[in-house]
Amino acid sequence: MAGIGFVLRRLSRQDNLLGLMQAYVYSALISTGPWMFTILSLGSITFLAGKFTSIDVLSEFRRVIIYNFAFSLVFSAPIFMVVTRYLADAIYAKDVKRTPGLLIGGTLLMFGTQLPPVLIFYFGYANINPALAFAATINFLLISEIWLISVFVTALKDYKTVTLAFGLGMGFSALSSAFLVETLGLIGLLTSFSLGLCIIIALLVARILAEYPYRFEKPFDFIQYFPRYWEVAAAGVTYNSASWVDKWIMWFAPEGDHSPTGLFLYPNYDSAMFLAYLSIVPSMAMFIMSVETSFFEAYLRFYRDIQNKAPLSQIRRNHKAILDSLIKSARNFLVIQGSVSVICILLASKIFLSMGINFMQISIFRFGVLGSFFQVLTLFVNIVLSYFDCRSAYLKLQGFFLVSNGVFTVLFLMGGFRFYGMGFFFASVATFVVSASYMMYYLLRLPYHTFVTTNASVNSD
Amino acid sequence: MNSDICLILEGTYPYVSGGVSGWTHELIKEQPDKKFSLFCLVPPGSLKKLKHKYEVPPNVVEIVNVELQHLPLYKKSISKLERRRLMKRLHEPLMKLQTNASLEDLEHLLGLLKASGKKLGRETLTDSKEAFGLLCDMYEEALPTSSFLDYFWSWRALLGGLFSVLTCDYPQAACYHSLCTGYAGLFMARVSLETKRPTLLAEHGIYTNERRIEIGTAEWLDDQQSLNLNVDLRATRKSLRDFWIDSFIGYSRLAYQVAEWSITLYEGNKELQLDDGADPKYLKVIPNGIDFETYSKIPRKSEGRPTVGFIGRVVPIKDLKTLIRACGFLRESVPDVQVWIMGPTEEDAEYYEECLDLVQHGGLEEVVRFLGKVNIKEYLGQIDVLVLTSLSEAQPLVILEAGGVGVPSVATDVGSCSELIFGSPTEDPPIGPGGAICPLASPTAVAEALAKLLNDRKVYERCSRAIKERVDRYYRKELQHQAYREMYEQLIAQPKVDTLARMGARMPVED
Repeated sequence: MAGIGFVLRRLSRQDNLLGLMQAYVYSALISTGPWMFTILSLGSITFLAGKFTSIDVLSEFRRVIIYNFAFSLVFSAPIFMVVTRYLADAIYAKDVKRTPGLLIGGTLLMFGTQLPPVLIFYFGYANINPALAFAATINFLLISEIWLISVFVTALKDYKTVTLAFGLGMGFSALSSAFLVETLGLIGLLTSFSLGLCIIIALLVARILAEYPYRFEKPFDFIQYFPRYWEVAAAGVTYNSASWVDKWIMWFAPEGDHSPTGLFLYPNYDSAMFLAYLSIVPSMAMFIMSVETSFFEAYLRFYRDIQNKAPLSQIRRNHKAILDSLIKSARNFLVIQGSVSVICILLASKIFLSMGINFMQISIFRFGVLGSFFQVLTLFVNIVLSYFDCRSAYLKLQGFFLVSNGVFTVLFLMGGFRFYGMGFFFASVATFVVSASYMMYYLLRLPYHTFVTTNASVNSD
Repeated sequence: MNSDICLILEGTYPYVSGGVSGWTHELIKEQPDKKFSLFCLVPPGSLKKLKHKYEVPPNVVEIVNVELQHLPLYKKSISKLERRRLMKRLHEPLMKLQTNASLEDLEHLLGLLKASGKKLGRETLTDSKEAFGLLCDMYEEALPTSSFLDYFWSWRALLGGLFSVLTCDYPQAACYHSLCTGYAGLFMARVSLETKRPTLLAEHGIYTNERRIEIGTAEWLDDQQSLNLNVDLRATRKSLRDFWIDSFIGYSRLAYQVAEWSITLYEGNKELQLDDGADPKYLKVIPNGIDFETYSKIPRKSEGRPTVGFIGRVVPIKDLKTLIRACGFLRESVPDVQVWIMGPTEEDAEYYEECLDLVQHGGLEEVVRFLGKVNIKEYLGQIDVLVLTSLSEAQPLVILEAGGVGVPSVATDVGSCSELIFGSPTEDPPIGPGGAICPLASPTAVAEALAKLLNDRKVYERCSRAIKERVDRYYRKELQHQAYREMYEQLIAQPKVDTLARMGARMPVED
C-alpha cells in the first residue's frame, strides 16, 4: 500500500528524526544567518579599518559592500535554495557521493549566472573607475560563493571550524587592509576584504571535501531540481528581496546619499535597521533551544501514530496536543521577544549615546525593532509551516511580505522623515497577521490536509 | 439507442490479454449482426496508458473508458454549503450500501448524486474537506477502534470506486451485459435503474470469492486488532476486512438482483453465487465450447509407446511436481510409458528448474519430456491420455479439446473438471465417465488412474467414446454462441421495465 505522503515517508526512518528536526532549525539559521553575517562583518570591518583610513574611503567601501551583500543574496538565492534541497535529499537518502560535484556545479552555475548582470552593473551603470569595478565584481562573486558554501557548512554542523574560518578570514582582512589601504586606497581595502573571503572559502571548502572525500561526479545533476522545486527557488528570491526592499526604496529618499557613482544609499536608515535586526538574536537562540520540546514531540506523535495505525480518536487527541503546544510556545516566544523589543525601544537613547550613533536614526531604529519583532514572529510561523511542507503557501506569504514592504515603504516615504521606518513596521505586522491566520486555518484542518491535500499518494494516483 | 449490447468490462478486454478477454473477443466476433459498445472500467492512473491487446471487431461502435477511484476534476461544481448538505444526506444510504445493500438504497443514492444537476468529481466526492468529514463520520459509526489510516485507504478505494461508477457517463444500449460483479456489477445495477433496460450477468470466476482471497491475504490490513491474540475480543469487533468483503458482497447482490439471468460456466460456481444472495431461479449455466468439427477430425495414432500428455504452463498452480512423482509410480505398472509436458516453461524459471531436478532425482529422464509451447492440434492425436494436476481451475478447455479428439482425461477435483469428465447432474441420458478424477496432490492416485486407462483396453475405449460424445452433445462452440444469441435477442426485444417493479414481481421467491 502506498504511504501517507511526503512528510510521513521522511519520518518513517526513525534514526533520522533528530536530523529532520535539526534540518528545520538550520532552515531558521539559513534564513537569518546571511543577515547576521552581513551586519556583523560590516560592523567589524568599519570598526577595524576605520583605524587606518579616512572616513571617505570607508563610506565608499561600505557602499560597494552593501550593494554586494544585498544583490548577491537575492540573485544567488534560487541556486543556493535548490542546492539546499538537493543536499538535504542526498543526506536523507544516505547517498552523499555527489556532494563534491554539487559544490563545483553550484559554484560554476553561480558564477555563470551572476557574472553577466554584475559586469553590466559595475562596468555599464555604475560611475566608477574600471579598477574599482573589477575589484567590486570579484568581491561580489566571492560573497555569492559564501552564500553557497554556507549551505554545505550548515549541513556539517561543525560550528567550531566555521567560527574559526570566519575569524581567521576577517582577521586577515583587517591586518592586510592596514598595508593595502596605504598604497591602493579604496581598492586596497576592498581587495583585503576579498582576500579574507578567499581564506574563509578555502578553509570551508577544505572542510567540506574532508567530510565528503568522493570524486567530482555529475556536477550538474541538481539542475533537474529546478523545475520540481521552482517554488523553493522563487521563495528564496522573494524572501531575500522582501528583507531588502524597504532599504532599496529608502535609498531614494531625499535625505539619502545620492552619490555620483550611481550607487545610492541611505546610511542612517541602513544602520538603524541593521542595529534593530540584532534585537532578534536572543529569541532566535531561544527558539533553537525550545523547538525540540513540546511542539516537536507533539508533531512527531501525530504522524507516527497515524503510521502505527492509531484510531481516529487518538489522532484527534494528538492534533489537539499540537495546537496546545503551539499556543504555549507562541506565548513564551511573545513574552521574551516582546520584552527584548520593549527594552530596546525604551533604552534606545542610552544605547545610541553609549555607542556614539547618530540620533537621527533613533525613530527608524524604534520602528525597526518593532518591525523585527513581528518579522521574527513570522519566521516562527514559517518554520511551523515548513514542518507541514506548505511550499506554495510559503511562497505566497513571502510574496505578500515583498509587496507590502514595498508598497508601505513607498507610502510612508512620501509622508516625510517622521514616518521613515513605519513602512517596514506595518508590512511586518500585516505579514504576521496573514501568516498566522493562514497557519491557524491550516492547522485546524490538519488531519484533512495530512490525509488528502498533502498526501502525495492521493494526489498522484 | 447507440448499440444493441453494452458489455461491461472490469480490468479486462480489450486492454488485458487472458481467458476472459479471449472469450469476449470471440463473443463479439460471433455476433456480427449485433452492434456492441464497450464500457471499460480501468485501474486508477492507467487511462493514458491504455493499449489495445486485441483488434476490436468492426461491430464495436463505441468504447467508453472509466478510471476506477480516480474521479475527474470539475472546476465548477457545487458550493461549499451544498457540499456539506450533500455529504450529510449521503451518510445513511452509503452506510447501508456497505453493510446490507438494497436497490432502494442505490436508487436513493443515485438521486442524491444527481440532485444538484451539476457534475460531481473528486473536488466534491473524495478530496473535499466535507468528504473527509463524511469519511470520519462513517468511520466513527462503523469501525471506531480500527486503524484510521487503513480505513482511510479502504474508504477511498471502495467509495472512490463506487462514486466513479455511479457518476460516470455511459453508452446507451438496448441491453447491458456485465462479465463480473464487483464495480461492474454495481454499475450494471445503476444502468438497470436509470435506463430500465434489461441486464445480463456472466461470471467466469466468482468475483467476491477472488476478492475474499485477495483481502484475506492482504498484509497491510493487519491492524493491532487482528494481531491481538485475544480471540474473544477479535470476534466481537468488525474488522476492516469485513468492510471490504461486505461491500463487495453487497455490490454482487445488487447485480444478481437486477440481472435477468446470472450465468456461470459450470454448476459448481452456482453454489458460490447462491451464497452471495443470487436467486436460484435466475441462474443459468452456459459452458464454454470448443470447435468440435476441427478436433473430431484429428487422426489418432495407432501404435508406439503409451503416451500421457500434459498441456499447460509450467507453473506451481498446475502442480507438475505431483505429476512427476506420479510418473515414478506409473513406470512400475506401465513400463514403456512416456509423459509429454507441453507448455511454456519460461514464466516461472525457478519452478521449471525444480521440476527438472525432480525428474533427474527420480531417474525419469526416459519417461518425462518437456516439449515447450506446441501447437496442441498437432499433438492431441499423438497422446493416449490427458492429465491435469492443477490446484485450481475454472473450466479447462484442454479437457474438452482432448475429448473432441477422443482422448480421455485424468484430472484433479477442481473447478468443473468432474462435471466435464463425469457429466453434469442434469445429463440425460447419462453418457458415462470420460476419464477419472483424483484428489489434489496425490501422486499415487494419479498414477493408479493413468495405469488403469492405459492397461485396460475396454475401459479406455469406453471413456474415449464417452468423452467424445459428451463434447459433441454439450460442449460445442455453436451451442455456446447460440445460447448467447438467443438471450441477446430476447433481451433486446424486451420493453422498458422499472427495475424495482421487476424486483417486486420476483419478491415471492425470496425469503
